[in-house]
Amino acid sequence: MTTGALVGLLVTVGIVTFLYRYAMIGLFAGRRLPGWLHALCRHIAPASFAALTAGELFIHGGEVVLSLMAPKPWAALVAALVAWRTGSVLATIGVGMAALYCFKWLL
Amino acid sequence: MSSRLSEFLAGCRDEAPLQLGVVPFGMLYGIGALAAGMPPWLAQAASAVVFAGAAQLVIVQMLAAGAGALPIGLTAGLLNLRHVLYSVSMAEHVRHLPRRWRMLLAYLLTDEAYAVAILRYQSRPQPEAGPDNRHWYFLGCGFTLWSTWQLSTAAGLLFGATVPAEWDIDFAVPLTFIALLTLLMRERAGQAAALVAAVAALALAALPFRLGLVVAIVLGLLAGVMAAKRSRP
Repeated sequence: MTTGALVGLLVTVGIVTFLYRYAMIGLFAGRRLPGWLHALCRHIAPASFAALTAGELFIHGGEVVLSLMAPKPWAALVAALVAWRTGSVLATIGVGMAALYCFKWLL
Repeated sequence: MSSRLSEFLAGCRDEAPLQLGVVPFGMLYGIGALAAGMPPWLAQAASAVVFAGAAQLVIVQMLAAGAGALPIGLTAGLLNLRHVLYSVSMAEHVRHLPRRWRMLLAYLLTDEAYAVAILRYQSRPQPEAGPDNRHWYFLGCGFTLWSTWQLSTAAGLLFGATVPAEWDIDFAVPLTFIALLTLLMRERAGQAAALVAAVAALALAALPFRLGLVVAIVLGLLAGVMAAKRSRP
């Protein structure tokens, strides 16, 4: 992507994000949010993070690569176990990075 | 000390502990932006223009994966949609303020600032006598978070330039998503949303410009809504 396109993209995302935040405080102050939008918003974070993580781990150059010899999915599995047991973001990153270096060396 | 200043400082003080979690996020974003080939000045400017940590990390991650502008914009737009909920929740507390105040507070309405400021509004009712200065508290929260975000982005950009590529430091971004995911997947609806989105992202990988990701997120959302309906008695 060219720098110009990237500037356009970031400014657009910035404006849209501001409008979301200003929506009910300013634009539509006093109105209620439709129920379906309320229900949808609760699931945005898990759906987005899961789709992004799956893509990062298994999609390379637009193709799905499932390999037992790839270090990143194994490191991610270790990190997920740490996250599940500790609930700590810092511990997940620390152990996940260490696991990646170990698996890169092993595999 | 005036009541305005003391409210502002109380907001800064209560927001401070959360910065422990914000600093690594901001640094990661800076490091990831460099790794994705973003010019440093633009990466720093984006922290002021977009001012939404998760969306900025997502943009960087998708750029690195070679995604086009449309899927990146749609994904960031979907991810940030949750801010409408914060806006709904804050509306009744800031409705009486002049427009310039509401615009400023809307700009500062991020996850962490919302979390702290809404507690103040809920735990301290409007004073019966004297002015209601709780928006100064909100401003203190937002100002603290904004400053930390800009400084930690700069730190990440400075630090990222010195880290060799083979360290794979940008892998910390998906690791952050994994950590957040496990916290969000305690409920059945969250599990359904995550599982369907992940499987669909792989099944639709062949779609151009990584548009499959956007479709996968939408399918995940629908799965979450359906699961929430089913689990309700």
